[in-house]
Amino acid sequence: MLITLDDTVKLIEEGKTLHIAADETLLEKLPKGKWIGGTTPYIMSDDGGLLTKDRLFVNEIDFAEDTNVKTYGKYNIFQVVEECYENGLTILIMPYGSRVAAKYAKEAPEVEELLMHPTVGWISGFDLSGDGEAKVYDGTSGESYSDRAVAMYIKLPENKTAMINMINIFTDDKTDPVIRFYNNELSVSKCTVNGQEVNFARYIEKKGIDTKMPLVADYNGSYINTSIKGVGDDTVSFYAPVFRNVDYRFAVKVDDYAKEFEKKINETGAVNPVFSCNCILNYQYGNLYGHKIPPYTGPVTFGEVAYQLLNQTLVYCEILG
Amino acid sequence: MDAVVQEKMIRILKGELKYTSSNLAFNMMIAKLQKRLKSDPACIEACIGELEGFLAKYPIVAKVDLANIVAL
Repeated sequence: MLITLDDTVKLIEEGKTLHIAADETLLEKLPKGKWIGGTTPYIMSDDGGLLTKDRLFVNEIDFAEDTNVKTYGKYNIFQVVEECYENGLTILIMPYGSRVAAKYAKEAPEVEELLMHPTVGWISGFDLSGDGEAKVYDGTSGESYSDRAVAMYIKLPENKTAMINMINIFTDDKTDPVIRFYNNELSVSKCTVNGQEVNFARYIEKKGIDTKMPLVADYNGSYINTSIKGVGDDTVSFYAPVFRNVDYRFAVKVDDYAKEFEKKINETGAVNPVFSCNCILNYQYGNLYGHKIPPYTGPVTFGEVAYQLLNQTLVYCEILG
Repeated sequence: MDAVVQEKMIRILKGELKYTSSNLAFNMMIAKLQKRLKSDPACIEACIGELEGFLAKYPIVAKVDLANIVAL
């Protein structure tokens, strides 16, 4: 729900457990309490996508048996798989451009046990028209961080389970060339295309590839995107890392991004997601400003977490049982 | 995991049978184990053990997948 600062303060003072997304100027004014938050002025609300600096997006975590909040740096971020509840859900927020986010992005897929612990979350950001700084907030201590992750561990009743899923408009064409990378990297120079080494930046230029289309990897039918951040003379940078030993292809071109996004939303059967977040690239390319996508409301983000870091994806979580 | 499911899961992990779940985590798990099995074919029992642990942890979600896999 999208509410005023006063209403958010009231919920905190009533002792509610909250996940909050808002502009930094609002988060700074919140009192201590059982909440975590991240910065973004971009929100998908019940009334559509918007940029707001006078209201906050709040999820009330009213389905928890218990909760616990912790913060982590790059050296201990993967304690999240050890310190979570056995039957629970972890909401993880990391600041855009932070070392902890880069570490998580690069290494999460190789962490044993990660898939055994439902972990959902997002990368906090800022108003793209300004020079803001991405932050996360631990409401229990009243501290904010630009270089640490904040995790809220949510304990679920025994008969409940958290199911995390995503909506992704992109797929691949299996006849397209296979692109592979040598390491888990956020920027690359070289790669192989159908086994032949090339300079990736020059390959993109030569082929005239539309870099609004992400690279996609097929994880047993679930497509994981890696969005292109920029193409330089010699290097290509990404919003999430590419991984070694994974086959990538450029996504099949989507002619009407907004229409395709709406179609995928309508195909998805989520009824009552307790959390959702949507990539800022979907917001921009999909023209989501003023556009409703019920039942998915939540922060518009600089990266999404569904176990691992994702791009150009809507991520949501339902509680089943 | 009963014998029918186990036999089909082995075929899925070897890429001989295609099954896509509606559960993202299960698809990620299958992809991870397929990759591991490709690089070390001898680790099939460990892969099956990991899958069993995963499915046992999420019985509410696994029920649908197990029924679908039996029907393959």
